[in-house]
Amino acid sequence: MPDNYTKAVELNLEDIQGTVLRARPIPYFGSYYVFTVDDAHSAIALLKRILPYLTSAANWDAPAENAWINLTLSFEGMRKLGMPEEILQGFPREFSQGMAARHVYLGDVGPNDPSLWDMPHGGNGFDIGLLIMAGSPELRDAKAAIGHEAISGLGGLRMVYRLDVGLPPTLREHFGFVDGISRPFIEGQGGTPLPGQPIAKAGEFLLGYENELGAIASGPGPKELWQNGTYISLRKIRQDVAAFRRFLRDNADTPEGQELLAAQMMGRWRSGCPLALSPDRDDPALAKDRLRNNDFLYLKEDPDGHRTPTGSHIRRVNPRDALEETVVEMRLHRILRRGATYGSLLPEGVLEDDGVDRGIIFAAINANPGRQFEFVQSQWINDGDFISQGERSDPIAGRRDRSDEFAVMRPRRRYRGLGAFSLTRGGEHLFLPGLGGIRWIVANLGKV
Amino acid sequence: MEISPDKASFTQPCTNQPDGPGKRIGKRGEIHVIGNVLQGGAEIFRGRIERFQAEAGYWETRVGTVHDFRVLLFDNDTRLLVSAVYDGDFIPYLEDVLEQAGPWFDFLMPGVWEGYTKATDLATRELIARQAYTAEAFYAANPDLSIKDIAKMRRITNAVNEILDAAN
Repeated sequence: MPDNYTKAVELNLEDIQGTVLRARPIPYFGSYYVFTVDDAHSAIALLKRILPYLTSAANWDAPAENAWINLTLSFEGMRKLGMPEEILQGFPREFSQGMAARHVYLGDVGPNDPSLWDMPHGGNGFDIGLLIMAGSPELRDAKAAIGHEAISGLGGLRMVYRLDVGLPPTLREHFGFVDGISRPFIEGQGGTPLPGQPIAKAGEFLLGYENELGAIASGPGPKELWQNGTYISLRKIRQDVAAFRRFLRDNADTPEGQELLAAQMMGRWRSGCPLALSPDRDDPALAKDRLRNNDFLYLKEDPDGHRTPTGSHIRRVNPRDALEETVVEMRLHRILRRGATYGSLLPEGVLEDDGVDRGIIFAAINANPGRQFEFVQSQWINDGDFISQGERSDPIAGRRDRSDEFAVMRPRRRYRGLGAFSLTRGGEHLFLPGLGGIRWIVANLGKV
Repeated sequence: MEISPDKASFTQPCTNQPDGPGKRIGKRGEIHVIGNVLQGGAEIFRGRIERFQAEAGYWETRVGTVHDFRVLLFDNDTRLLVSAVYDGDFIPYLEDVLEQAGPWFDFLMPGVWEGYTKATDLATRELIARQAYTAEAFYAANPDLSIKDIAKMRRITNAVNEILDAAN
């Protein structure tokens, strides 16, 4: 039988940076390094030294080494490297303006304001980013050594930020949920989609391929620069676990009631078991079954949110078929999530914040940050109009300055007093070139 | 010029759309797009407008977020104006709207609107974004009620009336 999923599109895996296609190992050990460029020559020297060590997506489903290192550039970083103005002008405006400049549109106001961010953005130092992900601390350190080696002796290049990421011993994120269950299947990635996994055109996640509008996703300047590249919309989200736990305690009388409320806010039980398939009780076996745990729709089975509340997190960020009868074309707003957890766990049962910085690095891979990440963030996470819920926002990840309500249908109840559980502490749109794109930069820039 | 306090008490908070052209009051947005009409385009336009009007309900229902919409030729048929009042943002939804109602526009606009080729063409999307204008003043009644909200309220009102009728 011909394999339609692999033959339709040939992805140039040797050129695509690994993180686009590789799912992180479990558990994982990673680091994010941020560099500021004071001198273009030094930065190009870094790129040149590190290029041979960057990991491609070749054999992504069975990599020879369970570790990878990838490189990203902010718009400001590219400008400092001497990218010609006419090429810079052609990048998407979300990327050229940067997330901090777009904070009002993105809902990063009040306690999420960029003045409170502790991770640099393109406007204050984020020029080059190195991402390391590995299956063990030793493999991570080995990759980090390559990075240190590459910058050693290079004046004019400063490491301004580092964040280590890793899955807590519970193998869950800080609010207690198993995550990373649902993701789109990219045409040409190889293998077969899992039940419930939507198939997306490669051009939604990679430049140089056909996208869902029937056009070839492209970038500015020569093809060598952008072919097989993409954008990562990176966010540092601090999680206020104590506030989340207090909200559950204050709104449910029993531990079981608290678990149900948490599940209704997420749309899945903490195990990952979807409410859509098991609305009354957790089913850990179902949660682990990859053939079942993502195999559900909303439009016919649950249009009003009696099982999965329409305002729940997973139904907002991935409405599946729920918006089919509305203006929204779901296939234009998909993102590929590559997130990671950072910080130590707040001990079980603690209801007061201990001041420790903990949360997630949210990384959305998208070829068009405007109609993908930014659309999801502004329309679905931070607003409720698309589900006739006015200004209500995502109960887990949304802004709180307009509404602090969350509604469920079974039993019908309106919760008030949602806290700012997820606080933006950094964010930037980054270019993740193909390896050929980095070669082009090394060969053509740094001469200013 | 001073605004009298009794009139100012009716003031609605009117802002620009957070990302792109158009004014915004609550959930309600407005947009005006002004383009040039091709030589001979007015005749073509008038030949097609009856069917375009007849299909308006179908296509706008598909989009589902437009409160009202109009298109007209002006300046001796040399320019055209497309304007709408709708729910939410304009630019973020432009791709979606053109995917939903593209065939409707593609029936009317080619040969009429200078630069318009096909709704799905990037050049057409860029043309619309480039030729979009923001109103200088805007008013919206019940700016927090979307099309969906209004439809829901109608259903609720009908249901309540049924109950009241039954009780009598």
